[in-house]
Amino acid sequence: MATFVMEAKNVYKTYTMKGDKKGEEKVVEAVKDVSLTIRKGDIKLIFGPSGSGKSTFLRCMAMLDIPDKGQIYLGDECLTKSGVDLNKARARIGFVFQHIYLFRHLTALGNVELALRQVLKLPKEQARKRALDALTEVKVCDCANKYPSQMSGGQAQRVGIARAIARNPDIILLDEPTSALDPELTGEVIDTLRDLAKEGTTMLIVSHEMPFAKEVAEEMIFYDEGRIIEVGPPSLFFNAPNTDRAKQFMTRIINRTTR
Amino acid sequence: MFEWLANPTYYTWILQGLTLTIEITLFGVFLGLILGTILAMGDIYGGKIVRGFIAVYVEFFRGSPLFVQLFIAVYTIPAILNIQISHYFLAFLVFGLNSAAYQKGYLKGSMQTVLDDQMAAGLSVGMSRIQTLRYVILPQAYRIVIPSWTNEFCSLTKSTSTVAFVGLFDLVSAGLSIRMRTFEIIPVWIVIGLIYLAWITGVSKIMDIVYERKKIPGIELDMQS
Repeated sequence: MATFVMEAKNVYKTYTMKGDKKGEEKVVEAVKDVSLTIRKGDIKLIFGPSGSGKSTFLRCMAMLDIPDKGQIYLGDECLTKSGVDLNKARARIGFVFQHIYLFRHLTALGNVELALRQVLKLPKEQARKRALDALTEVKVCDCANKYPSQMSGGQAQRVGIARAIARNPDIILLDEPTSALDPELTGEVIDTLRDLAKEGTTMLIVSHEMPFAKEVAEEMIFYDEGRIIEVGPPSLFFNAPNTDRAKQFMTRIINRTTR
Repeated sequence: MFEWLANPTYYTWILQGLTLTIEITLFGVFLGLILGTILAMGDIYGGKIVRGFIAVYVEFFRGSPLFVQLFIAVYTIPAILNIQISHYFLAFLVFGLNSAAYQKGYLKGSMQTVLDDQMAAGLSVGMSRIQTLRYVILPQAYRIVIPSWTNEFCSLTKSTSTVAFVGLFDLVSAGLSIRMRTFEIIPVWIVIGLIYLAWITGVSKIMDIVYERKKIPGIELDMQS
């Protein structure tokens, strides 16, 4: 029996990107020795300055980016060993993207159905039913036959969530699910996440939605410059974080949201 | 001027020539699509050697005249292999290989417009790279490429006249033969030209309809960007 749904052990990831000057390359150390465990039913929230590597870390957890060093475990299975069937592993992990990334040539229903048909190999009727159930759960059933370009950002992101949960994954990883949306649309996505939280869905969320974090997260993780700086319950961060950097960041972010 | 049109012999020649022109074009575009898709994938995912090979292939077929390619195929391949190969087959092959060089470019471009985010999305739901290509990337890329495909069809149709050089009887060969018998130069070429025009316009219109039918809201936007 695995104690953890997922575990990251001393994960490192660097990537190169184009620098300011032509032909120049910058090496970004996005993840430096990051370890993290998630138990069943946990809701953990990663937050920190933009460009600090949170998204890269989350992509490493889903093995969408392959870590340079360190291990990722899904239950008992080490995903960073060679010869692991990563497709099978990813089928057990739900992932929600910041920029949504729906399949643009498929309707909402098609988006959710595709993996049920091609990965879980469900028969057509059953896949359709499960996809509709997932869409109903996130309250976008009325968009079932719409294409991504015909939906609002909030609807599209909820379809993205439906696509992630339809397979009943062990865990859902959410990469800033609301930050690409207009402020008035974030509410509906947050409501959906709140519902998932109530059902005991295991989630690791990168987000700056502080009121939401306070409400649902058991643990908040302050992440900066590729490292976990401080970990604690929301009350710690909202009252008195131990590190100066977390303190500064919280002050800035709370001022921003209350203004 | 046009009384020769009533002669059933000439009529048959034109029909025969048109059939070959159409066959070569359709086969060329079709083989080009399959091969072009493979080349596009090789160019995106292949290593240095594969990409180098593809670059040489594309430069050869784009950089040399089609009739030279045709001559090489018809007069050297059977000699080297020391077997008889029909000129029809070799012409089909050359047109397919030639079209693949162009279609690779169109397909690679349209695949790259959707590749990064859609591939990540496909992998994230547990599909393999191949499944994602098949069910996500290609259905979008093929839709985006339809207009370029229409252009490729038009230009390939007109290039088929080169097969007359290797003794195949296409629409231009039919025109040459009729001209030789009737000595009506301008009227013959007007008729032949109009047949090309009608066929190309007809197919282009059909392709436009296919494009509209297959269009999915949001996908055509990529064309403008």
